[in-house]
Amino acid sequence: MILQTHLLDNALIADIQLKEANLANSEQFKSELTNLINSGNKFVIVNFEQVIYVDSSFLGALVSALKLAMNKAADIAVVGLNSDIRSLFQLVRLDKVFRIYTNTQEALTGA
Amino acid sequence: MPKRPKILLVDDSPLVLLVIGQALEKDGFDSRRAANVAEAMALLKNEVPDLILSDYQMPGTDGFAFRQSLMAIPEYKNIPFMFLTSVTDHAHMIAGMSMDAIDYIDKDTPITFVISKINNYLNSIRERHEHTIKELSSAAMALNLYSVPQETPHIDGFEIDFWHKSFENYPGGDFIDAITINNRYTFIILGDVMGKKWGAWFFSFGYLSYIRAAVRLCVSEGDVSTKSIMQKINSVIYHDPVVSEVLSTLSLIMIDSEHETLSYTGAGDLPLLYFNRAENLLNRISSSGLLLGISKEGGFDEHLFTMQPGDQLILVTDGLIDKETPAGKKTDLDSFTDEIAKYLGKFNSFESLKNDGFLNQKAIEQIDDCSLIFIQKTAK
Repeated sequence: MILQTHLLDNALIADIQLKEANLANSEQFKSELTNLINSGNKFVIVNFEQVIYVDSSFLGALVSALKLAMNKAADIAVVGLNSDIRSLFQLVRLDKVFRIYTNTQEALTGA
Repeated sequence: MPKRPKILLVDDSPLVLLVIGQALEKDGFDSRRAANVAEAMALLKNEVPDLILSDYQMPGTDGFAFRQSLMAIPEYKNIPFMFLTSVTDHAHMIAGMSMDAIDYIDKDTPITFVISKINNYLNSIRERHEHTIKELSSAAMALNLYSVPQETPHIDGFEIDFWHKSFENYPGGDFIDAITINNRYTFIILGDVMGKKWGAWFFSFGYLSYIRAAVRLCVSEGDVSTKSIMQKINSVIYHDPVVSEVLSTLSLIMIDSEHETLSYTGAGDLPLLYFNRAENLLNRISSSGLLLGISKEGGFDEHLFTMQPGDQLILVTDGLIDKETPAGKKTDLDSFTDEIAKYLGKFNSFESLKNDGFLNQKAIEQIDDCSLIFIQKTAK
């Protein structure tokens, strides 16, 4: 399992338990996150706190899950990005696609 | 230089881990060492090795249970697995081999012999793999399916060059194209389908067909605005269930050789690097568009600019800007910009980027395919 999940208030927190989030694990990540959306979770907060590096295939998996979420009137927020990953999100404009918060608490109050 | 194969050693004896680990390292392997199955599973999460060499008898979960749990996980079940154990009665050996293990080796076997077995196995896998890639590549070539054009376009007043390096000879998700509409208009395209290897290559080829068609249709209807063309491509992709699952960046540049102007629209792409010769400055041109197919509108903008003779424009895909640091890998456009700046502003900038080893060195460090488009304004 890549995602460890727990419920908090109105959200499902999904911690990514990886240091390097890349092609080797992006498919599994996508299917786990997709399952969370398909099983009816309306607000998933994906926590990147443990992640040091993300590649484009992993970002692609995250965006695919968001597209699915939008079709199901659900939402995905992203928290715990280190400064490099945050710059990458900005560089490819994913900061305009995802709601990004510093931590889970902020995401919950922002929601 | 080929990468060092990674071997995951699992054994509760620190001595075995040390001795075999060192022997492997000496023989050109990278070893990862786990004292029990839980540790091995934790290591696997971050890195899939080329082969697992595991003990049978360990406190807690034993080697057989370990093997069985790996077989139940799709990402791990195909990692070649060897037992190395002192439990060598026939019943155990048969049980072990029946779990799709590639070998069951007695711990008394000399280490050099164990390493030979590993080498032979990995070599045979590599040869078979190379053969398959070669067959697939020649099939793709026979069908004329290129994601990168074979020739660079000739545009009055401009010099255009392409550079592309695949990752370990896999075709990847990058695609480059130049579409010459007439003497006046040429479109330059750089895209990166997210994902890698064959899947990405297949879709990058599909995308390219989409984009070629869209550009030509728009131009034939009198529309030469990169923003408007990008909006149309995005809209088609957004509504097409076959490709809407696939995500891609796209940089679209139109060169108007009559007015000597360029227009640019980007979708989730990296900023263009613009070297202004008069000011001797390397600037970035950032677009606002989102990745293709994410949203219906896409938020695209259009940049219009005029290049002066000697000015240079660089487009890259993200494969080039990752960097290995002591703290781990990171994406770093700033250091890439600093490094490439040294090569710009010369009459032979592209040649020196290509031939002085800068680009090839970058490609070797990466685990993705890498592409660069170089545009230079020349005197007409």
